[in-house]
Amino acid sequence: MTFAGWALAEVATLFAVGALGITGLYLLRMRRRRVVVPFAALWDRVTRESDTRRLWRKLRRVLSWLLQLALLALLCVALGDPRPDVWLRDPVTLALVIDRSASMAGPAADADGDARTRLDAAVERARAELNALGPADRALVITAGAEVRVPGPLSGDPGQLLRSLDDLTVQPGESDLARAIALAQNAVRGQEGARVLVLTDGALDVPGASALRGCVGDALPCKLAIFSGPNANLALTAFAARRYPEDREHVEVLAEVQNLGDAPATAVLEVEADGVSVGRRSVELAAGESRREIIPKVEAARTRLRARLLPAGELAEGDITRGGLGPADDDLAHAIVPPLRPIKVALVNDGTNLFLEAALLTLEDHIELRGVPVADMIAGAPAIDEADLVIFDIADNPLPDPLPARNLVLFDPARREGSPSPIKKRADIPRPFLTEQLSEHPLLEHVVLKDINIARGTSFELEAGDEALVRSLGEPVVVLRSGLRSVLAIGFDPRQSDLPLRVAFPVLVHNIIEYFERAMPGFVASVPVGARRPLALAELGLNPEGLGAVAITGPERDEDAAEEPTEDEDGAGAETELRAPVQDGIFRMRAMEPGVYRIRAVDGPNAGAEVLVAVNQASVLASDLHNRVAALGLPEDTGAPAPPEPAPVGDGPLWSLLLLAAAALIALEWATYHRRVTV
Amino acid sequence: MAARPRLFGRRRSRDEPSPARGKSGARAADGELFDEAFLARLELLQVIARRLFRGRQRAERKTRKVGSGLEFADHREYSPGDDIRNLDWNVLMRLDQTLVRLYEEDEDLPIRIAVDVSDSMATGAAIQKLRYAQQVAAALAYVGLANLDRVGLTCMSGKVHTTLPAVRGKGRIFRVFEFLKGAPRGGPTDLRAACKRLAAESQQPGLTVVISDFYDLDGAFDGLNLLRFRKHEPVAIQVLDPEEADPTGSGLRGDVRIVDCEGTGEQDVTLTAATLRAYAAAHARFCEALEKSCRGRGIPYFRAETSVPFDDLVLRLFRQGGILR
Repeated sequence: MTFAGWALAEVATLFAVGALGITGLYLLRMRRRRVVVPFAALWDRVTRESDTRRLWRKLRRVLSWLLQLALLALLCVALGDPRPDVWLRDPVTLALVIDRSASMAGPAADADGDARTRLDAAVERARAELNALGPADRALVITAGAEVRVPGPLSGDPGQLLRSLDDLTVQPGESDLARAIALAQNAVRGQEGARVLVLTDGALDVPGASALRGCVGDALPCKLAIFSGPNANLALTAFAARRYPEDREHVEVLAEVQNLGDAPATAVLEVEADGVSVGRRSVELAAGESRREIIPKVEAARTRLRARLLPAGELAEGDITRGGLGPADDDLAHAIVPPLRPIKVALVNDGTNLFLEAALLTLEDHIELRGVPVADMIAGAPAIDEADLVIFDIADNPLPDPLPARNLVLFDPARREGSPSPIKKRADIPRPFLTEQLSEHPLLEHVVLKDINIARGTSFELEAGDEALVRSLGEPVVVLRSGLRSVLAIGFDPRQSDLPLRVAFPVLVHNIIEYFERAMPGFVASVPVGARRPLALAELGLNPEGLGAVAITGPERDEDAAEEPTEDEDGAGAETELRAPVQDGIFRMRAMEPGVYRIRAVDGPNAGAEVLVAVNQASVLASDLHNRVAALGLPEDTGAPAPPEPAPVGDGPLWSLLLLAAAALIALEWATYHRRVTV
Repeated sequence: MAARPRLFGRRRSRDEPSPARGKSGARAADGELFDEAFLARLELLQVIARRLFRGRQRAERKTRKVGSGLEFADHREYSPGDDIRNLDWNVLMRLDQTLVRLYEEDEDLPIRIAVDVSDSMATGAAIQKLRYAQQVAAALAYVGLANLDRVGLTCMSGKVHTTLPAVRGKGRIFRVFEFLKGAPRGGPTDLRAACKRLAAESQQPGLTVVISDFYDLDGAFDGLNLLRFRKHEPVAIQVLDPEEADPTGSGLRGDVRIVDCEGTGEQDVTLTAATLRAYAAAHARFCEALEKSCRGRGIPYFRAETSVPFDDLVLRLFRQGGILR
């Protein structure tokens, strides 16, 4: 026992002075009030007492005096603020990082049918850690979802910290564990007894795993508490719709279902369009198997699509695994049917490359092709100004300077010196051989350019963000610069190669058109959930010209949705309107919950125009419930030990108990001795 | 020495006026025991003695003595030396016998009024018991003097014993007043010794009125009984203060030290409502025991509470009790 308040000498002095005072007062009180009576003999007969009672009466004063001394002693000791030595250990500053990614909604290992998720287990462990804090300890609670939050700031009040855990829910998507750990380390670094405790299920993405490895390897003590469990989970990892190029009135719906568990699983995939079921299929997947289900010929008049994974049989009550489906966030996906608008293509050529014109003409169902002679290719020509894509195939003619501010496809743009092409020439290549290509890129899908014969070409300088789609012995020959205005530069003239004679040429042209078409209004890809996703307004179908801000509303509720929408802590997940500034046609969208969001232009010439955006989890890593911490090769002592037993006394120090004891003594003494009022 | 707090009132100085209640008491001037109107009413009263006592002088009270009265009583044989004027000549002439006519003789009544002046009589919440006792004694003395009885007074306690010799005639009432006011007081209550001395110094037995609070556990009744043995006719008047008799309404509570006003001792007591009730009950039992003892031996007993106006006590209760008529 140690005095944390007044020193022992001070307490002893105070007690001595107080004891003297109390004793003096009691000596004064011993002089009873004298009352003169005329017939004391009769009083004596009436009040005659037994010896025992007389002795007790005498003792009572002594006991009262002793009680007062005990009371004084308790108060003095309380001023000393006594603390058990166990409480006087070095203070601890604990940073609790709680993973609230989508995988934390999975069942915990010890869930015996009591519907306990991994997040529940983590919160329970966090409560145990907070309850074990001593009076001098402090802690803070950080949650790592798609956003990093601090529900419990650094405090020594466990009650406040415990309350911050009350409404903790799982967030769709992956957790930004790296930022959460960095925040925790920065918050407690330099504090007394600083340490970080990460509560996660170990189902981490690559940045998360890297952050965890860095945390463990840091000088600041960092421990892990893993709450893994059954890994069974079926997830919708992709859901999209596209119009048929040849039949724009219908769309084709693609849903990708993946079994992320370790055992075969069966589920029912149901796709709805505007609330009407357009497809229902039973999917049976082996462990780790992924399957794409395509639902053809869905009428494009229906704008909103929704895919759901349903259990194959009846669900038992309280079955947290949902019949092997796992967390619910990845069993629901949304898609928007792209609006119908043909892409406007302006082809600037000298009339010598009929192969290109022919390839474009085969796509006339969903392009609006307009030819521009070389002589009219000055900037500002109406055909070029209105075009979504301008293709320059002008052989040895010079490019206009400046080039029009449109999506551009430039064939052999560096043939002449001083070319205004934004992608600069690096060197001439006398006879280039196309040796490498990005086969996975949509522009080169089903295209093989390796054995093409080319008479001459040029290589390009790459800048940050540029993609070299095709290289000749390492030199970039075909370069894509993405952005608000994308530029595809092809470093050779088709006329000087045998590419137009090959099957790959029309396919390449088709890919080019389709690539730019997807970036145009009309093909709206779903957006993954996240805190700040940069999105190009043009890709969503809103004209960014003169637009300064957009209003984001959503997600919209499905009236027949089975699951209740979860409201985010600050209401961002509810159907509220948030405003986001637009810069260079790009805004950052905060979508923390899957669903359909509405983007509305609030200013500019197109104020009031709206587009819909589908937001899905659609992430294999977020849906995978496997614990990947073991694969990180972390040291064995990384695991956090069991939380210590809570302190026997709650929040208050021992002196509060002493004060209570003193108050009880006062009440006891009053009830037993001072209950009579002397008049 | 600082004045001690007193239960049920405080000791008053001799010259301090009494806040006497009652019709005459309220009208009494400072130092006066009662006014002339009350005296006039007292003149109509007479002290009653149940026994006949031998007086010394002729008065208005019949005795068994046969002498020179006016009312015929009996005949007896003539003896030489008898006054021949008392010969019954009619009998001598008719029967030739010499008989002397005897007449009843009227004499006075010896009345002795003993007032307890001990310290316990100096207490009282509203009216000092001693003051009340003095007023009663003065009233009775005036009644006796007005009827030509010989009235003597004694102020007695364990320490004081002062006697006013028997006086006669209404004019002596002022001596009675002066004696009552000027007599020393104080000391413990010792009724046995006081009555013993009273009986010893009384040359002629008579009506003896003892006015006291009788706060003497052992000698309260013994003194009266002693007087009875000495051929006196004792009358007990117990003066009580109602608040002393029943202190439950006094509001006194807590740990106190009880100090006897007569200095006989002190004790530590925790006063509670139950304690006060027990004292009131014990006091009532004590008074009832005294009354019962007196009644059992034919001693008239009167309980005079200071809350009752003393003239009411004298004019009504004493007449109802047979001590006055």
